[in-house]
Parts: sequence; C-alpha cells; structure tokens
Amino acid sequence: MRPLDEKETTAVFEKIFKFTGNNLKNIVENPSHEGPDKEPGRYCFRLHKNKVYYVSDSLVKRATNVARTKLASIGTCVGRFTHGGNFHLTIECLNLLAANAKHKVWLKPTSEMSFLYANHVLKGGLGRITESIAPGDGVVVFSMSDLPLGFGVAAKSTQDCRKLDPNAIVVLHQADIGEYLRMENQHEQIIEE
Amino acid sequence: MGKGKGKQRKQIILPPELPPEIADDDIEVSDEDLQFVDENKDYAGFVSRLDTHSINKQVTRVEGVNEDALEALYEKRRRKTLEQKENEKSVVQVDPVDALPVKSLDGEVYYRTFSQTAEVTENEGDVDKSVVKLTKAERRAKLKKTKKEAKKMGKELAKTEEVQPTQQEAALAEVKEDLTAEDAFEAKKRKLAELGMALLADPEANIKSLKEMLQFAKDGDHSIVKLGLLSLLAVFKDIIPGYRIRLPTEKELEMKVSKEVKKMRFYESTLLSAYKGYLQKLLALEKQPRFHHVVVRCICTLLDAVPHFNFRESLLVAVVRNIGSSDDVVRYTGLLLVYRRICCSTIKSLFTSEGKHGGEATVEAVRLIADHVKVHDCQLHPDSVEVLMSLSFDDDLGKPEVQEGNNKMKNKKNKKRKNFEESNQPQGNDRKRSKQETIAKMKEEVAADYKAVSYTPDVEERKRMQSETLSAVFETYFRILRHTMQSSVASSEANGNITSGGSGAHPLLAPCLSGLGKFSHLIDMDYIGDLMNYLKRLAARGGSSDSSAQKVQNLTVSERLRCCIVAFKVMRSNLDALNVDLQDFFVQLYNLVLEFRPGRDEGEVLAEALKIMLCDDRQHDMQKAAAFIKRLATFALCFGSAESMAGGFTYLNSLVTLKQLLQRNVKCRNLLENDAGGGSVSGSIAKYQPYGSDPSLSGALASVLWELNLLSKHYHPAISTLASGISSMNSAQNQVYISISPQQAFKNLLLEAESFKYNQQGGTEKSNKRKGRSTALASTLASVEPPPIDENEVSKKLRRHFILLRDIKENERLRGELDRTTSALQLYEEYKKQRKPATLKNKKSKKARTTVGM
Repeated sequence: MRPLDEKETTAVFEKIFKFTGNNLKNIVENPSHEGPDKEPGRYCFRLHKNKVYYVSDSLVKRATNVARTKLASIGTCVGRFTHGGNFHLTIECLNLLAANAKHKVWLKPTSEMSFLYANHVLKGGLGRITESIAPGDGVVVFSMSDLPLGFGVAAKSTQDCRKLDPNAIVVLHQADIGEYLRMENQHEQIIEE
Repeated sequence: MGKGKGKQRKQIILPPELPPEIADDDIEVSDEDLQFVDENKDYAGFVSRLDTHSINKQVTRVEGVNEDALEALYEKRRRKTLEQKENEKSVVQVDPVDALPVKSLDGEVYYRTFSQTAEVTENEGDVDKSVVKLTKAERRAKLKKTKKEAKKMGKELAKTEEVQPTQQEAALAEVKEDLTAEDAFEAKKRKLAELGMALLADPEANIKSLKEMLQFAKDGDHSIVKLGLLSLLAVFKDIIPGYRIRLPTEKELEMKVSKEVKKMRFYESTLLSAYKGYLQKLLALEKQPRFHHVVVRCICTLLDAVPHFNFRESLLVAVVRNIGSSDDVVRYTGLLLVYRRICCSTIKSLFTSEGKHGGEATVEAVRLIADHVKVHDCQLHPDSVEVLMSLSFDDDLGKPEVQEGNNKMKNKKNKKRKNFEESNQPQGNDRKRSKQETIAKMKEEVAADYKAVSYTPDVEERKRMQSETLSAVFETYFRILRHTMQSSVASSEANGNITSGGSGAHPLLAPCLSGLGKFSHLIDMDYIGDLMNYLKRLAARGGSSDSSAQKVQNLTVSERLRCCIVAFKVMRSNLDALNVDLQDFFVQLYNLVLEFRPGRDEGEVLAEALKIMLCDDRQHDMQKAAAFIKRLATFALCFGSAESMAGGFTYLNSLVTLKQLLQRNVKCRNLLENDAGGGSVSGSIAKYQPYGSDPSLSGALASVLWELNLLSKHYHPAISTLASGISSMNSAQNQVYISISPQQAFKNLLLEAESFKYNQQGGTEKSNKRKGRSTALASTLASVEPPPIDENEVSKKLRRHFILLRDIKENERLRGELDRTTSALQLYEEYKKQRKPATLKNKKSKKARTTVGM
C-alpha cells in the first residue's frame, strides 16, 4: 500500500473529474469522522495491488499493522490500473460519484433491468436527463426513485437526445450494481487472493 | 388708393359720434387750467388712464346726431364688424396664452395682439385681395357698398375726426382687431365644417375641396391648423377606399377609357395626392412640440383605420419612432406617456386585426421595431418591445396545409399519370392533346386571375410572412439578451454613462423575457442550446459579483428569477418528450430565495418561479427537495413583522410550496422529527450547511425544521395555521394519510392547488388593496383549513401581538428609568461616602488640632 505518484494521481482525478466536475473538491476535502480523534480527518487515495482505494487517514494508520501481502482490501475501492497503465473506475465508487455527480440520467422503471444486465442506456429508456451534457461526459445513472444504478459515458449531448430515435444509445455502459451478482466469483477471487 | 383712403377715414369715424358740445368744451381749455394740470400731475394723472373707449361707447349712444346720421351710423357700425371679420384672417393672432389679457371696465376680457395688426389694417387694400380668395362674391359686393357709404360719411364727419385724440383711436383699433379675430376664427371653423360635410356627403363630386381643406393646415393660426388636421383626418378615415390605389401607368393613360373610368381615375389620383400632401404635412409638423400631440393622434388613428392603404410605411415609421422615444425630454414626460400609450394601442390593434391588411403591416411593423432596437442599442422604453407580446401566431398553419399540399401533389401526380397513360394510349391523336393542353392552360390562367382578385390570403404567403415576423421577433429578443450579456462585461469600465437604478440599465430585458416565455414553443430547436446558455449566465449574474463588490451591473433578483422561469417554460414547451433536469437553474433559485426582499422585489415573480420550478415538477431528488424545504422555512421566518404586511403573501407562497414539497417527498418528513442528524437518510453529508450554494450538497436532511414551531406562533392567522398544519404532518400521521386513500390525498392536493391559485390572484390584486389582501387571504385559507377564522379573531390576535410589543417597549423604558435612578442613587451614596470620610477627617483634624492645642 502506497500513496499515488503524480502520474497516477492525475489519471485518477481526471477520471473522477469527468463525472463530478468541480465537485471533485468535495471528494478530496470530505472530512472523515472515523477513528478516535476528535478532529475530523481527511480521506486520501492509496494504491494497493493495482487497485486504488479511497481511505480515511486514521484507517490508513491502523492498516499499517497488517502485512502488505495479507491486506486484501481497505476503505472503498475506487478503481484499478490496467496492465496498460490506464485507470478504470469500478462499481464500488458509485456512491462516491452519485453524491457529487454533475450529469445524471434517470431511467424508466422498464429499462432498469436492461441496464443492470450491462446494456447501454437507450433513448427509449430515458426518464429524465440533466441539461447541458456533452458527448464524452461521465454520467451517473439513477432509477426514478433516485437510487444510483451505475455509471457510464454520454454518447450524445442533451440537445441531440431530443431528435434521436428510441433505439439510439444515449449512455454507454461502464459499470452497474448488477455486477455485484454477476461477477460475484470474480470479486470473491480478488478477496481470496 | 382712393378706396383705401376712404377706408382709413372710415376707420376713424367712430370717435366722431361724440356730441359736439364736448368737443367745444375741449377747445375752451384755458391756460390756467393747463397750468393747474401741470402743477398737480398727481391729481390729473387719472385722466390719461381713462378708458376712452368705454366712455365713448356710452357717449355714442347718446343723442346729438340727427336721425339720418344716426341710422347710417348704426348700419355702418354693423358692417364694419363684418368687414373686420374678414380682415382678421390675415392678422397674426398671438396665442392667448402668450400675452396676459386685459380686463376692461365693462368686464370684457381682451387679448393683446401683435402691434403688426395696426399696419395690417392700414394696408387693407392689399389684404382685401387675399380675403377675396376665400370669400364669396356676395361679400365682395357688400364690401364695395360699405366703402362707398363710408366715403360719404367720412365727408360729413371730417371735421370732428381731426379733433379726435390719437390714443382713443389706437385703443379702438385694437379692440376691433380682437373682435374680428374671434369672428374670423368662427368663420373658418364653419368653413371647415362645411367642406367636410360636403366631402362626406358626396366624396366623388367634392373631391377637389380636399385641397382647399389642406390649405387650412397651412394657416398661420395654430388652432386652425389643428382643427384642419383633425377634420381632414375624419374625412380621410371615411372616404379612403378598402383597397390600395394604384395609379395608372402612362400606357394605361393613353388608352381610351369610358367616362366613368376617367372620373374614377381622377377621383383616385386627387385623393391620393391630397392624402400624400396631408401625410407630408403631418410628418413635417410632428417635429414641432406644439403640434406633436395632434399629429401623433392623427397618425395613429389613420394607421388604425386604414392600414391597407398607400403610404402605410411612413405612418408605421412614425408610430414606431414614437413608441421608442426615450425619456430624454423630461419636460414632456407626461405627454410622452400619453403618446406612447396611443402608439402602443395602435400597434397592438394592428397586430390583432390582421384581417384588415393581410398581415403585411405586421411584418413591416415588427421589422421596424427590430431595426429600431438595433439602432438604439437596446436603450429604449420597455413598451417598444412589450407590444410584440400581442402578436399571435397560428400554430396550425403549418401542418394541415402541408398535408393538403401533399394531397394536391398526389392528385396532380395521379392526374399526370392519367394524362401520361392517356397520352400513351392514343399516341397518334395530336389534335386532342393540343386541345387538352390549351384547356389546361386556360384553367391555370383563370386560377391565377382568381387568386389575384380574391382577397383570401394565400396559405404559402401567410406562412412566409409569419416566419418572417417570427424571425424578426426572435432577432429582437436575442439581440436584447446579447446586449445585456455584453453590457455587463463592458460596464466594468464604462459604468458611468449608463443610468443606474432598478431596471434602468436593461430596460428591455423584462418584456423580452416575458415575450420569450410566451413564444417559447415557437423557438427553433437549434437555438435552444444557445438560449439556455445565455439564460444560465444571466441567471447566475449578480451572486458572484455581489461578494466581490465589483461595479458590474447586476440584474435585479426579479430579473434573474424571470430568467429561471423562462428557461423552464422553454424547456417544458419544447421537450415534453424528454424530461430534462435543469440543475443549474435550481441552484440559482436556491440562492435567489435568500436574496429576495418582499418590499423590493416582485412577489408574483417569486411565486411563479416557485410554482413552475418546484410545484409543477414531479420529480426531485430527496436532497434537493429537503434543501429547498429547509431554505423556504428559513426564508419565511427571516422577515420581521414590519415587512410582513407586504411580504405576507410571499410567506404564504413559500409555506404552501413547502407543504407541497413535503407531501410529495415522504422521506423528507424526517425533517419534521425532533432528531437532528437525520439518521440513515441524511446521506454522505453529516452536517447542515445553511450557507451552501448547492441544494444537493447542503445536507439539509440532517437538520430539523424548527422554524415551523416559531411560525406557528406567528400573529398572522393564515401563516400560523399553515405552519402548525405542516408541523403536525409528522411521519406517524402521514403513514396513515398515505395508506388511507390516494383519493383523499388527491383531494387534499387539489385543495392545496386551489388555495395556491387564489394566492396568485391575490398577488395580482396586490397593488389595488394591500391591506384588504391579507385578510382576504386569511379568510380563503380559513375556508381550506379546518378551524374557521373570522376577522374578529384576526384583530384580536393582532391586538394581542401589538399589546405585547407595546409592553416590551414600556418595559424597556421603565427599566431605563430604573437604571437611571439606581445609578443616581449610587452616585449619591458614593458622594455621601466620600463626604463622610472627609467630614470625619475634618473632625479628626479638628480634634487633633484641639488636642494639639490642648
């Protein structure tokens, strides 16, 4: 477990910035109330076995007691670095993104399941959409009752969405909460490793 | 010249009616008398001030002239007045207002005239010629007669004439001028009326008299000019035909035509040239302030009555110019207001009654307004853009017609196919085909002719004009928006030249925004993105610059609220299929609620914004709804009782909105429970941030709505009942409430909406009755809420409230008094204490001395 170096930090922040915009500040400056300290601590990003974790300071201190090989996970896993050096967000960071999301899409109840099976969001399934989304922006997907379902990348701007036909793709799927079930084995494996 | 001389003599004839004895007496003035007068000028001064005219008048009535002469005199006097009437016309009359009038002894009021008048009467011979032009032959004959008689009389009375004092003469002349002026005025008026009536009775026969009437407009007398203009207006309004006159071309003139056609052509051309002259006169006079009012009225009435007629463009230009006239001329502000109102109503009627002119005038007017705005760099009176609101566009014009067109096309295609088939079948039959072709040609020609003749406007044409109008309107609106944007950027440097104060900086923004709201469904999809961007930036303006204390021109809160409203309207009307969440505007509204002041800003705007943005929108995420609930509660609480009369309406609105939000968002009712921290719902933000600018990050779910408890003790019954109603809506009850029946919930909601509507109506009545409104609201809300509230109770509560206030004041005063007395007492005590030791010391020292002495 080690802090991110400069290159890694920019990669992580750029990715998160796509989803949260200026709210990235809130993520970084979020006070943590964990641990015995009276003073609220801070959260920080830590790299462990190719994975990036969002951890409170006090937890980092306490985690030093565990051997690096024995440490399976710590705090919230935000994403992982691929072998190519790219950074990918994982579904575990959804809550973090949802609270600070800048661009949101709400799904109609009928198309929720489709999204939860890793399909893209189609125009027909769109219940609501934030204005001023540009193609390429990170979008957090919600159900109509404001439950975060996953996130993705916008394929079309809000303006263009109006003219699209119902089968056109609006948001490209990246991660959804269905993964917790679908990829149960994979997650278990990771933890077991 | 002989005549002229005779006239002159005759002029001075009146005085000689003095009895001869008096003249004799005058002659007999002795040297002694003169000396006496010279010495005692104070006594004799009154003589010079004597009103010789009135004296003479009396004198003339007295006997002293033989019977024949007397008769002749009376006759002559009558005639003279007649004569002078005519002379009067050439005399320049000073406006009665310009010179103070003189009241003579016999109670008549005389207006002073120019000194030129004397000259004019002397040159009467010349004047006669001009008079003759206008008068009839009869009068001319009369004139000659009188002159002859006057000559005779003049000879008879020649002696006495010379005796007359010159002063008397002058005064007499003056009086005569006055009298004749009035008479001439009357005569002219009569003449105008005659001409007008004749024209109206038979315009074709009397069309020539139009020019004569036009002559009146060139008269020297202002009131005559005005009358002339107005009567011409009435005539034109009546006789202008319902079509546009096209003057015949030279070729057509050469052709032989029947008598009737010739007559018609003459009539039309005369009418047109007279009309043209009239308009030129109007436009020329428009610049003179004293005619401005009349001219504007004339132009507006003409445009209203005959928008289809020739020279409409110049009329339109004048009217549009008058609408936009800025308030530079402070002196005429009151008058300008009247003009502007007239012009506005004219343009509006022009817009609404398009049938009269087939819509062309509308296009022209809108285009003119657009140009006007462009030229004046958006610094105009709001009315000039507000008139665009009364435009109406036919939405259905496009679709069904297009379908019909398609059908027609299909039919045509079918026909063509048929033709084709037919032509295929009998290939050799050339004659038949040529015959068919000629028939088709004929049909087409007939159709074209019919189209030209019939006045039903072509659909294509109408569509074209409508789109042109629309583009001009939106061009104007977007120009104003852009100007507002740019001025804010530039104004940091050049702030001084633009007048500050309220909406003075952007006078056109408010009507522009309301117009955008009205026509939002007509905006082209391609522009919406830019429009939203502009609106977003405009709505965001003010917040940041307030804190940085820059001298950037801020929009007022109402203007920014309007921006939000317009954005929502545009989105709603265009994107019904796609539900777009306007997060930025919610952020703006969230911050604007805090900046709102009931006295300064318009309550209706806030009400509309709350209704459109919060009540009409179905879905809100919980955090946002909670944030708004909390903020509205704070808002309702944070005004003192002084503002509450003006702001009561706003309170109610915010509270009603709050209630609606709470009813819709069940989870937000955690706010009502006395459990700070919010439990599991509070989300990631653990602490409420009251000054946060983003509603979704404020953490409002972690707070408690303690404001309601205070508000339920508000003296205003409507507010207190509403607040207590909301606070009793805790989660235990509302589970029942939700589970019981959705119908009841719906009914409740309906009631709510009704009361809300009524509130808004109350808002519009705000200006009419401020005090009455609150009680009215109270009563209406009372009808909604279970416990009925009558006025007595209101007054009782109010009384209690004010008694409490007074008690507090009294208490303060008493306490102050108490403090003062206690401090005085303390001072006294101290003084005593200080004194005691002093006396003691004295005593001691005395004692010591005595002891020493001893």
